[in-house]
Amino acid sequence: MEEMTHPKFAVVGHPNKGKSAIVSSLALDDSVQISDTPGTTTVKRSFPLKVDGKVIYELFDTPGFQRARRALEWLEGHDVSADKKYEVVNAFIHTFKEDPKFNDEIELLEPIMEGAGIIYVVDASKPYGEEYEAEMEILRWTGQPSMALINHIDEDDYTAEWKRALGHYFKIVRTYNPMDVSLEQHLSILESMAQLKEEWTAPVKASMDFFQHYYDAMLHQSSEAISQALQSAISLTETLYFESDNATEAQKKQLETHYKNSLRAIESDTQKSIESIWKHEHLEKNQNPLSFDDMDLFSEASASLFGLTRKELLMTGVSSGAVTGAGIDLLFAGHTFFLGGAIGAVAGGVGAYFAFNELSEIKVFGKTLGSKYLEIGPMENRNFPYILLGRLLYHTSVIAKRSHAKRDKVVFEMQSSFKEKWLDDSLKKELEKYHKKFRSGKAVDAEEMKVYDTLIYGTLQKLL
Amino acid sequence: MMNLKAYLDLYEVLQQDRSTREERRNFGLTFPELSKQPLQQLLKWASEKRVTLKKPLLSETLSSYLYGITLTLSVFAFILGLLSGVGLLSYNGHEPVNVIYFMAMVIFVPLFTMLLALFSMLRANSAQSILVHISPAYWMERMVSLLPNKLETQLKGSLSDLKVSPLVLNWLVIKRSQMIALSFSLGLLLALLGVVATRDIAFAWSTTLSVSPESFHSFLNTLAFAWRDFFPWAVPSVELVEQSQYYRLGEKLADEMISNASFLGEWWKFLLFATLFYALVLRLFVYALSVFGLKRAIARSFLTLEGAQALLHDMNEPLISTRASTHEKGFNSEEVLYPRTIDRFDRSYDAVLGWAIDRQALTVINETTEVISPALYETGGANTLEEDRSIMEHCHGEVLLYVKAWEPPTMDFMDFLEMLLQKTDKVLIAPMGTQSRQYQSKEKDLNVWARKLFGLNSPKVWLKV
Repeated sequence: MEEMTHPKFAVVGHPNKGKSAIVSSLALDDSVQISDTPGTTTVKRSFPLKVDGKVIYELFDTPGFQRARRALEWLEGHDVSADKKYEVVNAFIHTFKEDPKFNDEIELLEPIMEGAGIIYVVDASKPYGEEYEAEMEILRWTGQPSMALINHIDEDDYTAEWKRALGHYFKIVRTYNPMDVSLEQHLSILESMAQLKEEWTAPVKASMDFFQHYYDAMLHQSSEAISQALQSAISLTETLYFESDNATEAQKKQLETHYKNSLRAIESDTQKSIESIWKHEHLEKNQNPLSFDDMDLFSEASASLFGLTRKELLMTGVSSGAVTGAGIDLLFAGHTFFLGGAIGAVAGGVGAYFAFNELSEIKVFGKTLGSKYLEIGPMENRNFPYILLGRLLYHTSVIAKRSHAKRDKVVFEMQSSFKEKWLDDSLKKELEKYHKKFRSGKAVDAEEMKVYDTLIYGTLQKLL
Repeated sequence: MMNLKAYLDLYEVLQQDRSTREERRNFGLTFPELSKQPLQQLLKWASEKRVTLKKPLLSETLSSYLYGITLTLSVFAFILGLLSGVGLLSYNGHEPVNVIYFMAMVIFVPLFTMLLALFSMLRANSAQSILVHISPAYWMERMVSLLPNKLETQLKGSLSDLKVSPLVLNWLVIKRSQMIALSFSLGLLLALLGVVATRDIAFAWSTTLSVSPESFHSFLNTLAFAWRDFFPWAVPSVELVEQSQYYRLGEKLADEMISNASFLGEWWKFLLFATLFYALVLRLFVYALSVFGLKRAIARSFLTLEGAQALLHDMNEPLISTRASTHEKGFNSEEVLYPRTIDRFDRSYDAVLGWAIDRQALTVINETTEVISPALYETGGANTLEEDRSIMEHCHGEVLLYVKAWEPPTMDFMDFLEMLLQKTDKVLIAPMGTQSRQYQSKEKDLNVWARKLFGLNSPKVWLKV
């Protein structure tokens, strides 16, 4: 046996029992081919967990057993004591290495005989069958530490009978659904893998810390991407130069369309980067709701559904206005106390009410100086930040919770109740301060952005 | 160096950067001492990546544009200052030069504009800062930028997409306003020196307000606070103030002034120091403040550049990778239409076999499918290969082979089937669902079997669908 450098684990089993799905989910890799078709995996593939280039552990996805009874017959043809059985398995590999008949068995046994621990995968949504025993017996011949993972591909449940059977062959039997996996479940499987061999405990436990750190880093990166998107979208301005004396309606329309498209691009670019942060780069999505065809970002329906209602917005306006009022009071050393607050509140509230629908005014510049241009932005619609933020938070929560083993199309169907999950009055007030600043076009320094990031990060944590 | 050039270089690097996460992390590990100094780390990255940018660099284009426009405006301001100075000091030999005009230009106007500049600095954080926008430099620049210009056309593309911090832009205007004001002051100074050196000027002071010479002297003394202790001769004496008060309609003092014409020229020393202190030294101080402010604004804005935080994160966070290093070969999972299918069982078969299905289960399945057969065998599963071979010896004619629909056909099964076909005329493969589903198989499972049997391409093999 080769000298071990880092723990290795071979995910093995009968064909089509979800080995690749498990590897995909444990390795956070959505590019692994997963299919109902057996024989999708034809050669073993290594999935190393590397931290700064150093391999912490290595997972192997392997083809399923194809001629287990035949292989076992060959092994059992050698009457050896238990301590020599692994030599017979090595001899099997050596003998049939070039024989296409045992290609799959060789592919799955090789990493095991090179020191990999065994993770035997079964599907407990189907009844147990004796045909599995030949496979488990071969694995026992290798003498490598092993555990069984019970997967559930369909709804039926035969876990009890599987557990009874697996208990005869494996010390550790765990249930793991790669299609619906949380960080806790992922860590719990790693914990079990760490127990397979004493020398593996430290590195695998270290990998658990890395995964926790990794998850937290992904949350941070997502919140940064969302904050950046909000700032860019709210402060966005678009310019259109024109030659004639006055800008035509068509030019104004063109500018507005361009402005809306830029906002949409900010959203879709942010979504892409969030998908990339969470390693979902091969995602197939139902684009309709995101293309705003029937759920326009700028329609009043979606404004009320995903952002704040007029009433809620009015409340935000009143509160942010009241802050302005307090500012006026301070200027006059408190003499205007209630009055200043009231003026501010009314002004803010009215502003919020009327800023519900419009995006931003189109202004004409340079009219008297020769080079004329139209300008739109920054975003004046008070509700827009909440709509965009709600959509991005929803998108992130779906992506972050999605297992890498899933290959179905993602359908983003945000319910209006989603808003209640993340937005409360105190958060509204906090966010509004920053939205106001983004809208004003004032410079936002790194510390301020950090505070905004923290608000988004906290919201994401709550959602996940 | 944390200057505008470095800021714009980093901006451009971040905009065009296609570096991988690995490259960024490698960079972070190569310079571990910078991991706690984000600004230095960003600057180092920008300086390393600068060579990959397309020429001309945005920083070069913009610097050359800013340099050109600032130089033009500075020269213009200098000439304006010079002409203003000469105009204010013009002496026609009949009426003395009123020092108050010149003092207004070298003391009060600079003080007022410097005050405005200080307010602008305090409000520089705001994009809509009115104090920045009323700066002459801002408007002169706007006018110049609106004129047709080749460089401007070149820049329009890149500038329209330029997302530079408003803080930096405001400080740029403030700093350049101070440079232009400084040029104007230099023009005034040169005018003063030139006129004093080339002409004999009688200075006087005149005002409609009732100001006594003593009060005026005291006022001048206050204005000269910065130099009166070091250069007392550069502060007008009470006598000079008294003698140089000028009334347009006064006869008596006019004679006195004429008799003391050489004495009246002494004012130039005060005007020179006033220009040096208020128009130049203080302006230099405000300029230095603006340079410092711009530098600070740039330093603050480095970290808010789009992509800067992500870059820092990539450089300083451990690079965790979990993916396979090799690419997986694609596979074909197209559905096939198996050519030999039946949808009803016959009443009887020469033999009924169950692949990994025990005898008891086979009997139940046969009852469900209402199939009868003289021979019933369990194959595969826990059987040895020898046992399977022996069962095959008993098979002939038409054989019904039940299989578990959910278990995909392994090569073990295919080997068995191929051997069975040698002994029989026809084999009907019947994929059965689980007992809980009344042995009904799923469409997707049937497809798996159809695809595998299609590959075998044997006319003897039929599939129950």
